[in-house]
Amino acid sequence: MTQLNIPIESMAFPNGLRVVVSPDHAAPVATVGVYYNIGFRIEPRGRSGFAHLFEHMMFQGSTNAGKMVHIKLVNSSGGVLNGSTHYDVTNYYESVPSNALERVLWLEADRMRALKVDDENLRNQRDVVKEEVRVNVLNQPYGGFPWLDLPPIAYRNWSNAHNFYGDFDDLDAATLDDVQKFFKTYYAPSNAVLLILGDVDVDQGFKLAERHFAGIPSGPQPDPADIDEPPQIDERRGIVEEKFGTLPGIAIGYQAPRRLTPEWCAAAMLDRALHGGRAGRVYRRLVLEQQIAVDAEGGIHYPVGDLFDYNGPTLMVTRLLHKPEYSADQTIAAYDQVLDEMKEKGITSEELEPIKVKFRSNYFSMLEGGHGASIPRYGLMHLLACFTLFDNDPRLVNSILGGFMEVTPAAVQSSAIKMLTRSNRSIVIRQPAKKGAA
Amino acid sequence: MMASAPRSETQTAVPALSPERPVIWPPRARTTLSNGLEIVLVESHTIPKFTGQLFFRSGNAVTAATAPGLADITATVMRTGTTARTSRQIEEDLRRMGADLSSGAGADTSVVSFGGLVDFSNDLLLLVAELTQQASFPADEFERERRQLVEGLRIERATPGFLASERMRKILFGAHPYGTISPTEAQVESYRLELLKDFYKQYYRPGNALLVMVGDFSPQAMLAQVENVFASWAEGKVGEAPNPALPELHGRRVYLVHLPGAVQAQIVVGNRAITRKHPDWLRLTLANSIYGGAFNSRLVMNIREQKGYTYSPRSGAHPLRQHGYFTISAAVRNDVVAATLTEMFYEIDRMRSTAVGEDELADARNYLSGLFSLGLATQDGLAGQLATSTLERLPEDYLETYRERILALTAADVLDAAQKYFDSANAQIVVVGDRAQLEAQAALFGPIEVYDAQGNRI
Repeated sequence: MTQLNIPIESMAFPNGLRVVVSPDHAAPVATVGVYYNIGFRIEPRGRSGFAHLFEHMMFQGSTNAGKMVHIKLVNSSGGVLNGSTHYDVTNYYESVPSNALERVLWLEADRMRALKVDDENLRNQRDVVKEEVRVNVLNQPYGGFPWLDLPPIAYRNWSNAHNFYGDFDDLDAATLDDVQKFFKTYYAPSNAVLLILGDVDVDQGFKLAERHFAGIPSGPQPDPADIDEPPQIDERRGIVEEKFGTLPGIAIGYQAPRRLTPEWCAAAMLDRALHGGRAGRVYRRLVLEQQIAVDAEGGIHYPVGDLFDYNGPTLMVTRLLHKPEYSADQTIAAYDQVLDEMKEKGITSEELEPIKVKFRSNYFSMLEGGHGASIPRYGLMHLLACFTLFDNDPRLVNSILGGFMEVTPAAVQSSAIKMLTRSNRSIVIRQPAKKGAA
Repeated sequence: MMASAPRSETQTAVPALSPERPVIWPPRARTTLSNGLEIVLVESHTIPKFTGQLFFRSGNAVTAATAPGLADITATVMRTGTTARTSRQIEEDLRRMGADLSSGAGADTSVVSFGGLVDFSNDLLLLVAELTQQASFPADEFERERRQLVEGLRIERATPGFLASERMRKILFGAHPYGTISPTEAQVESYRLELLKDFYKQYYRPGNALLVMVGDFSPQAMLAQVENVFASWAEGKVGEAPNPALPELHGRRVYLVHLPGAVQAQIVVGNRAITRKHPDWLRLTLANSIYGGAFNSRLVMNIREQKGYTYSPRSGAHPLRQHGYFTISAAVRNDVVAATLTEMFYEIDRMRSTAVGEDELADARNYLSGLFSLGLATQDGLAGQLATSTLERLPEDYLETYRERILALTAADVLDAAQKYFDSANAQIVVVGDRAQLEAQAALFGPIEVYDAQGNRI
């Protein structure tokens, strides 16, 4: 059972906006998302952190809904809302009782049409974002490890390699003019997709979308971004100081295959064989059996994304925290042994088939939720959006499982042999500033 | 498909809300087996999976006086072996069933949470039954988990949020079990396997348990499966956790936890409040939502959207089984600690002295009502709501009537709750960060005590 039958209808308006409706009337709630095909990977040079800062500005006011009106109208309709910036997309989403659907569409359309923000809004959100960076990164044990640590080591193209959360100097340099220019360049309807999920009929969804979005003027499509990486020929390494935590950390990233290829499907199964929780080979060997590490996790596009939500170079990442009595070299040697075994002996069907069952099961859960209990179908929305913006085919949600289920043990082994090489990887070590434990 | 020619005008007025569709409550089965196990089963066909939680109404509080954190360690080691399966077999069997399983304990409960594909529901129930009745507590697995726990404790002692919560709970609850949220390293080192086994024998009993399951099944058919798996579990009754006296709290006091090198200040202000069973609970919930419990709340508007002091301001009412408490928190830049506390208290005092306007009241009622509906739309959300209301032994129709009871609350209710449960005069203040940058600001708000990250007074 790998072909799903989730109802998915899509269309495009003359201004280029694509609309996807996926009805389900089980509960009287609706989830709405607007995704723009712009993420922190392709923000302007010298403006690190700008795509995310800009996301904050989208809550600061549009022509008919001033500062805080978006938040007030959604909350007071019984709904919740947020936005988030990813590598290649930025999203804005709301979950509401379905009687507030039109109101939410009106709000999203208003801010797709025009932002109405001033210098005071920008100063305010710059301060807020700095505290966000402090609370999530600079003032936390292992903050940013490894999602901010690995890219500068692994990549050579600034777009892939820079500080996505933003250097404070760059945040300070951002101007209102930058904000309006960014909006004009990347927030045109043709660079976006609108998603309406839940308690809505298809016709009604399209009709409401047309009423509020079809009249938004079209804009030029942004030039395609240059995110190409030169081929990697040597292992790359770096060290970052860990200011608060007591354990050394190691993250290892391998350049992953291109999306939607058979190699990508095989790499995904390889990844689950290595990182699939406590039954995965890395956790079992390093944490449970050899007890060198106390934690081991990983994944493709881990930890700030998943297998589906990127559209360019990415890594299969392993993140380890290990005991201080083992050196980094000893830990990496033990890890290499796990990988070498996969390359030399491969994987049996007895191991691979359960991995597929678990993959399918996780996929269902991701579609239903994926973002806490109060944003129903966040995961489905996220996949529909990425498959529309990257592949122009939201129905991939229903068919994508097939490719993973067909992966053979031989394909997993060749994926390991091809991908898991020294010259294809980057390693970052988080070195505690404080020696050992108290 | 292409749309017809678009309309060109822009709509400038906010669209009105259409009539609300009622929440349709899914069929549920509720029963108690003769051995005392309570069962709640609800169908939800969103995905071909199910989710379940098997609770025991005993958590870390029951042994807090002698062995803090024992319930949590017991739950952790429990999943590493049974008389029939090794740790590795358990993990591989879970994967074969497409299942997830986790186990742990809070102050009041121990819980095994599980979920997977419905095709394997019987196998997964058998594994859960085996873990909760025939765990073998292997010595080597215990030693491994013990070391991982110690390393985890060391990292927590460098985490501002943990340090702030730990200090606040100590201040509000003192020697009561709720005053300790974590064991010390020395305590963890001293625990012997027999202690875990004793806890397991005493508290993992059907008369102390609640099983909640939500998913793509028929409740009647699932009930037959559940009875088949759990009916033979030998009965067992369990006593209540101790409830010693609480410390007296008079006047505002300030507690600074010194975290050298911190580049931000984690503030938490708190006072004791009420449990979910208290008749004022919904009033407090609504008052909290207006104060700092929602994005569109006064605290967030003030210290985030107007002043830019913080990314993460919020307030919350926290119900434990015997007592509850209320907190206000924000991580702020170092130079605005005093300014932030001033605004927190300004907004508290405003809630206590001035009735909320009708528009703001209606907005907040709608918010809580809608949030409740959203929480029922996924299997996990529904399971969470059912677990809370059943564990706390709330009235049978608690969930069904929740929205109408929220929508009936008045401005007077909010004022009353704020006056009773936002205890401005006796609020306790915790600030975690670099002492040199914060102490003078914090000391403006009351007598100050300074602690290190290990919990020692300095």
